[in-house]
Amino acid sequence: MPLMTPPIGSQLVDLGSALLLLTCFGIVAQRRLSACVDLFALQSVFLALTATLVAFLTGIHHIYVAAALTILIKAIVIPRILKKVIERLNVSRELVMNINVPASLLICGVLVMVAFLITQPIIPFGHLLTRDSLAIALAIVLIGFFTMIARQKAVTQMIAFLVMENGLFLGATAATYGMPLIVELGVFFDVLVAALIAGIYTNRLQDAFDSVDTTHLSELKE
Amino acid sequence: MLDAFALIVMQTAVLLVVAPLIVGLIRKVKARLQCRRGASVFQPYADLVKLLRKQPVVSSTTSWIFTATPYILFASTLAAGLLVPVFISRTPLSLAGNIIALVYLLALGTFFLMLAGLDAGSSFGGMGSSREAIVASLTEPAMMLSIFAIALTAGSTNLSTIVHKTALLQGIVTDPSPHLMAFAALVIVAIAETGRVPVDNPATHLELTMIHEAMILEYSGRYLALVEWAAGLKLLVFLTLIVNVSAPWGIATSMEPAALGIGLAAYLVKVSGLAVFIGLLESMFAKLRLFRVTDLLGTAFILALLGLIFFYVLRG
Repeated sequence: MPLMTPPIGSQLVDLGSALLLLTCFGIVAQRRLSACVDLFALQSVFLALTATLVAFLTGIHHIYVAAALTILIKAIVIPRILKKVIERLNVSRELVMNINVPASLLICGVLVMVAFLITQPIIPFGHLLTRDSLAIALAIVLIGFFTMIARQKAVTQMIAFLVMENGLFLGATAATYGMPLIVELGVFFDVLVAALIAGIYTNRLQDAFDSVDTTHLSELKE
Repeated sequence: MLDAFALIVMQTAVLLVVAPLIVGLIRKVKARLQCRRGASVFQPYADLVKLLRKQPVVSSTTSWIFTATPYILFASTLAAGLLVPVFISRTPLSLAGNIIALVYLLALGTFFLMLAGLDAGSSFGGMGSSREAIVASLTEPAMMLSIFAIALTAGSTNLSTIVHKTALLQGIVTDPSPHLMAFAALVIVAIAETGRVPVDNPATHLELTMIHEAMILEYSGRYLALVEWAAGLKLLVFLTLIVNVSAPWGIATSMEPAALGIGLAAYLVKVSGLAVFIGLLESMFAKLRLFRVTDLLGTAFILALLGLIFFYVLRG
């Protein structure tokens, strides 16, 4: 079957997206909180690389700015905040989970399939740079969402939230070659503030309950 | 005909000679990272020579399985090595079998090693065998699926065809996403199958956590030499499989001497690069608790499954 070989550039973008998905699975399988943070930082680096590649291939310059901001905020600043938060806590790993690791992995596998099935009809209509990126972006968003449900510790939930945001950014870059710069700046600022607030909230949780298990929040007793 | 014969001899020689070197290289990398000088990379050769000279001691309670296992293990691993393209995209035994034969030749060696672990009747051996059975049964599906993911994109289960086509970029859509998933799964499988750190520790002999070392605890002399050599070969076969399936560029595609030379050099560089990477991985991670090994191998299985599904959902 003499299929047309897609240009090497779009293959590299696909490769970058697949690397993002791979780190997602790493975060799902990982129990140690600090390792989760490292994986998130790594994922952000891959995201920035993918975005830079898209910027280079399309010639849209403001994506470079977004990629630089990704490195600065998501790969350096936020991981530092999270590490500081983890240092204060009395837990270093996620011990009790709502759903155990092998089951989580299976569910994430199913989520990836769902993402591919959903995006399958859309792909031929758009003039997308790549075949897989949009589907992978949706898969990352779904996996992030699922991880927020499956884990109990506030730190892991925060990382899952940030992973979701990474997925959205990848989707925006892959599908529409990035949002207008002003929107992207706003999003970065929001994410940074969200991470700060979540960090403070985690510390308060630790002080109030002596644990960062968010299930405590559903108890209304004094 | 003469070509095929020469190829068998060459590939056997290369595999047998390179295997101890790779083991030594990984040990050296680990030693340097632990701020030790470490033994020379050629130390495993000296160990093999020493062991081959020593008189073996065999427990009187063992059956024929115990003495036959080293030979079966060594022969099956070497035969598996001849099914993988090493420095030329043709494989000497490609008429004899494909990728499925490779998987089960390796499994045959593992099976006999497990029997031998049980044979001497020591509690350590039995423990090692039972753990090896867990690991082997979990790695097998992941390995099959990841290899199938690659075979589907190449349109053949014959390794020589897969590597040849990928090396020449012939009629293959090089497809990064499933390849990456399969590659990650294969690396995890290789680490688990060859008893490397997050799953097993090749450097311990006196711990309750050992798997491979527990099974071969009763072996000595030339039997131990063969088992160790086979373990090195198995590691080399996995590394070769990974580098040549995911990055076969540089491999010889014809029998010309110049191409063979380049192929051999490229192969040595690639394999030692991956060996250094494995040494790094071993230094970065602590050994997993036995009951957490399922998490790691579950990840490998899911990744391999995804690689396969990428192919069906996206290109189907």
